[in-house]
Amino acid sequence: MRFLISFLMVVLLPVMQVQAADELLVYSGRSDKFVKPVMDAFSRATGIKVVLHAGSSTALLNKLQLEGKRSQADIYISNDAGNLQKGADLKLFRAIPKNIARNVPSNYRSKQNDWLGLSARARVLVVNSHDPVVKGVNSVFDLAKPALKGKIALTHSGNESYIAGVSVYMQLKDKKFVSQWLNGMKQNLDDGVFNKHSKIVKAVASGKKAVGLVNHYYIYRHLEKHPDAPIRILLPDQAKGGIGVAWNVAGAAITRYSKKPAVAEKLMAFMVSKEGQKLFASVNREYPTRPGISAAREVPAVGSFKVADIPMASLGHLRNDTLDLIEAVGMP
Amino acid sequence: MNAQLSGYAYWLASRFTTRGLLTLLIVSLAAIPLFFVIHSSLQLSVERWFSLWTSRLPGLIWNTLTLAVLVAVGAFVLGVSSAWLIVRREFAGRRLAIWLLVLPLTIPTYVFAHIYTILLEPTGWLGRLWIALFGEAGLPDLYNVFGVGFVLSLAGFSYVFLLVRDALSRTHQNLEDAARIQGASPTRVFWRINLPMLRPAIAAGLALVVLHVLSDFGAVSMLRYQTFTLSIYLQMNGRFDYQAAAGLSLILVSLSMTFLVVERFFRKRQRYYSSAQSRKVEPRPAGFTEQMLIWAWLGLITLFAFVLPLAWMLVWSWQAWIKDMIDIAFWGYVGNSLLISFMAASLAMLAGLPVALYHARRRDFLSNACIQFSSIGFVLPGPVIALGILAFVLAAVPNIYGGMLVLVLAMVIRFLPLAVQSLESTVQQLTPSVEQAGRSLGAGPLQNLWRVMLPMMRGGLISAWVLVFIDTLKELPATLLLRPTGFDTLPVRIWIEASEEMLELAAPAALMLVMGTLPVLWFLMRPGSEHSS
Repeated sequence: MRFLISFLMVVLLPVMQVQAADELLVYSGRSDKFVKPVMDAFSRATGIKVVLHAGSSTALLNKLQLEGKRSQADIYISNDAGNLQKGADLKLFRAIPKNIARNVPSNYRSKQNDWLGLSARARVLVVNSHDPVVKGVNSVFDLAKPALKGKIALTHSGNESYIAGVSVYMQLKDKKFVSQWLNGMKQNLDDGVFNKHSKIVKAVASGKKAVGLVNHYYIYRHLEKHPDAPIRILLPDQAKGGIGVAWNVAGAAITRYSKKPAVAEKLMAFMVSKEGQKLFASVNREYPTRPGISAAREVPAVGSFKVADIPMASLGHLRNDTLDLIEAVGMP
Repeated sequence: MNAQLSGYAYWLASRFTTRGLLTLLIVSLAAIPLFFVIHSSLQLSVERWFSLWTSRLPGLIWNTLTLAVLVAVGAFVLGVSSAWLIVRREFAGRRLAIWLLVLPLTIPTYVFAHIYTILLEPTGWLGRLWIALFGEAGLPDLYNVFGVGFVLSLAGFSYVFLLVRDALSRTHQNLEDAARIQGASPTRVFWRINLPMLRPAIAAGLALVVLHVLSDFGAVSMLRYQTFTLSIYLQMNGRFDYQAAAGLSLILVSLSMTFLVVERFFRKRQRYYSSAQSRKVEPRPAGFTEQMLIWAWLGLITLFAFVLPLAWMLVWSWQAWIKDMIDIAFWGYVGNSLLISFMAASLAMLAGLPVALYHARRRDFLSNACIQFSSIGFVLPGPVIALGILAFVLAAVPNIYGGMLVLVLAMVIRFLPLAVQSLESTVQQLTPSVEQAGRSLGAGPLQNLWRVMLPMMRGGLISAWVLVFIDTLKELPATLLLRPTGFDTLPVRIWIEASEEMLELAAPAALMLVMGTLPVLWFLMRPGSEHSS
């Protein structure tokens, strides 16, 4: 019996550990690789320690909502504006002071400044340079053309960037049009559904597929490893009257129940500062949201192409409608 | 009247023994997620139920059931055949084969799925081999029921192997000899004597496998095969629709419970106790040709179930090593994983003990209900369990929220059925007279448990501990939601890195999962352990 008791004590002892409290806790829906360099720079500059709690953006937002007042998180980082706005609608965030928020253009943050966009990604086409089939392609809506049967590559419809893209098209074109477009792509898919953007780029590079719909940085990530890959970026819908490239931002918010809002604001200010924005731009080749900070050299310069004119906050409002539409069409 | 009353009191007293009370306590803890599911789905309006019922359910039920049947067949063929060869034949490398057949348990389903999708790409090892042999056309991919079935059979057949092997090595020669003397052919002996004797073990093994299928999250989400679990997860996560998710979970639970009741019904009708004097079966030495055939079959199984994935992990871990990507933080994840698994395994083993003992000795409505409720952890998807526990902890004991205890509790609830199942199968083989003998010789209940029962159950205790340890080590969805902040385990890291295609970082973590399990597996399988009970 004594053995049993001591056994229990050994087993339970580690449970009693208490968490150290003097640090910022960040719920991060982005890969550590892209967030950690920025946090490290912040810690070096201010001496404030940052604990990263990684997960998927949506799962962490769920956690934040369920935890309510009990949440220990100070900052929430998401790779998708849809999630940020959803969190704002659920009243999970608190307003960010104007002097910090105004560093970011108003369509990359919410109306009440309860979240800020930090870096933007473009929904673009990646095409195989050798495949003649891509000649006539210059819009995402061309992917539904019968000529491209078996030639297109998409992510599965659970992907946040994919959903956000469809939300953008839904606002600029009517629902019926988008539904027909999705149906046309469904006919063209064959085995063209991939679970990762990187696999789409790979399939296009290998010639298995001719054209894929991806976030712009995946193309450069592939080219970095395989500089001779026969792929290039195609910025869609640039023609006169075209809707422009769909845009999405990754961003951050201060949680409503943060016990250290002042410290959290410091981190927020750092993330939109010149230094922080340069870091965000360099780690993943995204577009910094702060005007005047340029993106990585290899990506098309901001301003050199047309971007779909949509406030990012709308991506959250349209989330469920988009999901309904995608499911009604039965996209895989 | 008086007699009736005292009869009633007797009935009460006989049920509410220490064992019974402990069992009730543990079972009500284990049922927390179920209460959560029932509570949330009660808030679902009739129309929403109706639309769920018509739009989703037929497809989900069909997808889930076909997958379960496919995996059960796969695991049966792989598990029973390999267990038979291992126990009944003596051949070169037999101990190695045992190891290779158990080691697939250390590889999580999402790692299996991840590795095989990569290997089957046109540039992957298997993809290139296929193209060289059969050309470009028809390169199989895994994004269908057969692909998922393949992955889950490989990941799960070892449960059947372990339990059947254990049962086989404890069967005795007498019955078979008797049948042979009466003129039965060896095939007939297998069908009429061995298979019926093995039925509890096979049923328990397959039940484990099927329950793993029903609650699997990793492989189905990676291969996008819409089962109940995946659909529930998407409903919850993508749309913040907890009520619909709970509704679907409730249906899944009813399905799984039906399955469990059926399985128990078939098992209940048979109980075997072995007598002490009988002779154990000795493995027969295999001839040369036979050895080659045995290894061809076992080699094929282990190649796909372990050797290939291991080779892949080694190659990519080496890449990570030479690129200097394995830092001090990585060893922290290893430590966290081992810590949580150690605690969960120990507690689940202790918690499973009263439940198994209670049910093994008393077969009535209450004990059956307790057993069913203790299986909740297996029939509910991991994400739902996590959510249920989170809701319960925040509402009832908010002070422990954010600590390790919550995570440990979740793991114990999730994997309690593993402990109960393996304890029960040894308890069933303990003749009740042993327990009675101890008591009649003057041992108190605790002393009897400590000096008589536990030593005889050592095999079951060890396998309970080891199985829970291994599953906790691999656990992903509940850990993702409930881990204390900044407390990353290996599966969490694999998941994070794999979702960003960082193979060099996912591979060493997967490799460490395998390595971390080796010592505890050794404990389970050390020489002589198969004869110890």
